[in-house]
Amino acid sequence: LASIFSGMDPATTSKSNHCLDAAKACNLNDNCKRLRSGYISTCSRELSATEPCSRRKCHKALRQFFDRVPGEFTFRLLFCSCKDPACAERRRQTIVPSCSYEDKDTPNCLDLRGACRADHLCRSRLADFHTNCQATFQSLTSCPGDNFQACLGSYAGLIGFDITPNYVDASTTSITISPWCSCKGSGNMEEECEKFLRDFTENPCLRNAIQAFGNGTDVNLAPKN
Amino acid sequence: SRRKRARARHKPCELRELEVSVSELGLGYESDETVLFRYCSGTCEAAVRSYDLSLKSMRSRRKIRKEKIRARPCCRPLAYDDDVSFLDAYNRYYTVNELSAKECGCV
Repeated sequence: LASIFSGMDPATTSKSNHCLDAAKACNLNDNCKRLRSGYISTCSRELSATEPCSRRKCHKALRQFFDRVPGEFTFRLLFCSCKDPACAERRRQTIVPSCSYEDKDTPNCLDLRGACRADHLCRSRLADFHTNCQATFQSLTSCPGDNFQACLGSYAGLIGFDITPNYVDASTTSITISPWCSCKGSGNMEEECEKFLRDFTENPCLRNAIQAFGNGTDVNLAPKN
Repeated sequence: SRRKRARARHKPCELRELEVSVSELGLGYESDETVLFRYCSGTCEAAVRSYDLSLKSMRSRRKIRKEKIRARPCCRPLAYDDDVSFLDAYNRYYTVNELSAKECGCV
């Protein structure tokens, strides 16, 4: 089975590649296509041998994309469901992680949080994420008020800031999200750091929201009377 | 019907569009992503200028003989669409410019 997948024959995988469908939907919409090309070309433009891209400009273009393109396009690209690694890799590549996400060194998560809090917009987006994706045992979905959309929106709102989250690998069975940081060197703040990091890596609300969106089961979960 | 087909062939110059995969563009990229390819199609009979008529006359009077000339307007893009980006089968991003027409005219 592994050999079939690693062959990545486009003809066999394209049938159920929701991430490819999402890219098609975006390309056929002039606004989505323009802003997607905007961030992709900025984020993949090489500056010099030592500098693969301008992260600052890449982040700005990503923020414009997620701010100005409706969620019906951006959510589909970010949270498409996958049955094979080719699809999951495409999903991971959505934000051009080599420029917007990965870095030579891995900063401490609390330092990264500090950098985010120094910027008023990043600070408020992070607060939104903590509010809307806070795992709770009081609801069926683990999300506050069973509101998946609010959690997904807050997640997308972090992209293009210091705390940009992404899929850590192209796994199809388990979805793991994290900002580019670790809790090494936290000293006596280790517990605080792990708690902060777990809001991304081990968050049942965020995971359920992403899975429900991918499966199309996120509708009518919150009955309104 | 036959008349309808004849009329379709003689539509004036205008923008048309096709949904195609990036691989089908023939630019050497391997990608299953679908893009909108807009192109110019149609006749330019209504756009014949004094220039074209005179050029034809010069040719028939053999004042112009060996040169390659075109005494008819041609339906071509006047402007091109914005860049289009895609992820290829090897997970590399590419951006292509001037891929698609934005506006057509008889030039």
